[in-house]
Amino acid sequence: MMLSLGCLLSVGANAEPTAGQAPLSVANLVNGVCATCHGPRGISVLPKYPRLAGQNANYLMVQLMAFRSRTRGDADAVGFMWGMAAQLDDPTIEALATYYSQQKPIAGRSGDTSLMARGNEIFNNGLESEGVPACSACHGTQGQGMADFPRLAGQHEQYLLKQLGAFQNNMRDVAVMHGVAAGLKSKDMQAVAAFLQAQP
Amino acid sequence: MHRIGRALFRLGSRVAAGESGYGCVGLVAMMAMLLPWQISHAVPSFARQTGMACEACHTVWPELTHFGRTFKAGGYVLDNLRQVRGVDSQKAEFLDLATTPPLSIMIQAGYTQLAKAIPDTSNPAVKGSSQNGTVDFPQQVGLFYAGKVAPHLGAFLQLTYDNGSGTLGIDNTDIRLADLLVLPNEKTLIYGLSLNNNPTVQDLWNSTPAFGFPYVGSSAAVAPVAGTQIDGGLAQSVAGLSAYVFWQEAVYAELGFYRSAKQGSSNALTGGTGPLDGTSSNIVKGFAPYGRVAYEYNADRHSLEVGMYGAAFRLFPGGTAAAPMPVNGPVNEFRDIAEDLQYQYFGENNSVSVVATHIHETMNLDASYRAGSVANARDDLTTERLAISYFYQHRLGGSFALFSTSGSSDAGLYAAIPADTSGNPGVVTSLNNRPDTSGSIVELDYLPWLNTKFGIQYTAYNKFNGGSTNYDGAGRSAQNNNSLYFLVWLAY
Repeated sequence: MMLSLGCLLSVGANAEPTAGQAPLSVANLVNGVCATCHGPRGISVLPKYPRLAGQNANYLMVQLMAFRSRTRGDADAVGFMWGMAAQLDDPTIEALATYYSQQKPIAGRSGDTSLMARGNEIFNNGLESEGVPACSACHGTQGQGMADFPRLAGQHEQYLLKQLGAFQNNMRDVAVMHGVAAGLKSKDMQAVAAFLQAQP
Repeated sequence: MHRIGRALFRLGSRVAAGESGYGCVGLVAMMAMLLPWQISHAVPSFARQTGMACEACHTVWPELTHFGRTFKAGGYVLDNLRQVRGVDSQKAEFLDLATTPPLSIMIQAGYTQLAKAIPDTSNPAVKGSSQNGTVDFPQQVGLFYAGKVAPHLGAFLQLTYDNGSGTLGIDNTDIRLADLLVLPNEKTLIYGLSLNNNPTVQDLWNSTPAFGFPYVGSSAAVAPVAGTQIDGGLAQSVAGLSAYVFWQEAVYAELGFYRSAKQGSSNALTGGTGPLDGTSSNIVKGFAPYGRVAYEYNADRHSLEVGMYGAAFRLFPGGTAAAPMPVNGPVNEFRDIAEDLQYQYFGENNSVSVVATHIHETMNLDASYRAGSVANARDDLTTERLAISYFYQHRLGGSFALFSTSGSSDAGLYAAIPADTSGNPGVVTSLNNRPDTSGSIVELDYLPWLNTKFGIQYTAYNKFNGGSTNYDGAGRSAQNNNSLYFLVWLAY
């Protein structure tokens, strides 16, 4: 059932979800709005849209708030999510983040074996010559995410590449990631993204 | 509105009424030249409603992206606006109304230069040419309500001022009721109903006629005489209700029925808007079935669709107020079967699109044949189109298209200059009574902002109404109808 975001502001906060199951109003929001791009369970089909299943709730909340406050500035954030998040209130954001964090993630498609091996190497050991630290230090050895650092495992390769590019050119203004991505060459990014997409 | 279809429509009326005179040919010629190409639209009210930029739904408007197709299938209801709410005593909602109505305005202006001016028939005693170089300001002005009406219910409603007729009238309309179902296996199913007034206007891909290339064309160019019914021939004169499903945003199926819903007609007895009688032409007998199946495959930045669509129309020829024909007895049957294909590459900076369709129409013209207004009881007509577009950063690009229509010869449908009439200006006649028309279109577009388009379009004909040289019997060649068209298209 499609309900507008504005309608959900009050009811979203009052719902009582059980683990993995969205409260009714958030289910409406997920199915009627978010699922258009991200899928009803956060497993998006098209690589333009990130997979949200199993993502850290805190990370999702921070991102939704950044969309709402228009402080995340990469092109798709501006073009898609600024509008979509404009009317979300804090309780609804929390409910959405909780819902997607409780969905079961899946691994994406495997790519070229040697490319993924190279990606695994960079992800877990970094590139000392380029001053790139190991990604796993923050994102976990399999890219499953840690604390407030986002889960990357199973994410679409294309989406990951786009984000790394956005960190590099500061379209997505995150100082830590700008520093990390600054030394990554295009082929290194592709290797890391291919490795991560295939992780469960 | 579709100038080709309307031209055929007018001819059909004329044929049905048993007319074949010189004056009527002239009238058809004038109308054909005044009628615009089918116009396809994208509307900023969707952007206002969703808060998303045009590029979310369009590669370059009006061509839809996968997200745009999903938005349309979902009923145009996705929104982020504050709502006026109403709830009953059980807190069940019975009003969910956006505080901002989804309204948009579109304006088109154009300038058209023909390769050779057409004859001026305003005074048969004085031979001359009409002015070449036509300014259309405006060519069209459109007012849209395009967006959510209520939960699950959305509308694309267009009122258009057309400088050809000088009037404001109903244009493409598509009212949808839709919902999304999550199946037990986590697959999604969008399902819904569409109430619309133009077969294929409800379709999700740009390879079908209503929203197909060219998305805009001159209203001051010469239109070929033939077009299939599903290719705009019945646009805005029918109403259809169809049910559709879109499984996993990949498999699409739709089935519906159309019936006449004439605009501007009145019953000769009561003066009311109905029932339709013999003063109206091409009236659908019963309900005309419409079907559509399509499969879309998406991988990374690529999207590929293949599909089929078709309809079967049984039409009472009817007549006009001046020459009414009873709405009973035999009918003319048109069976349209079409295949289509669409490919899109949607990169960060570059987008490429290929759209193609093949429409085959078989005509069983019993009614007109018995009336002696067509030469054959059976005719056929085939239209093919292929368009390739490229755009850089959604802003600068162009298209190249090939088009072809061919079919059987019929002295009634595609009339030559009457042998007993001298001085016929031709232009919209066919010396060999054939509909064959083919050519190409080159278009360049620049969009300084995503809701503004400036374009140049050149249309070149190899054949026109059956021939290349002297196709009309009055010495005009197909190339004489080549046109250069400058376009300004603003939507806000």
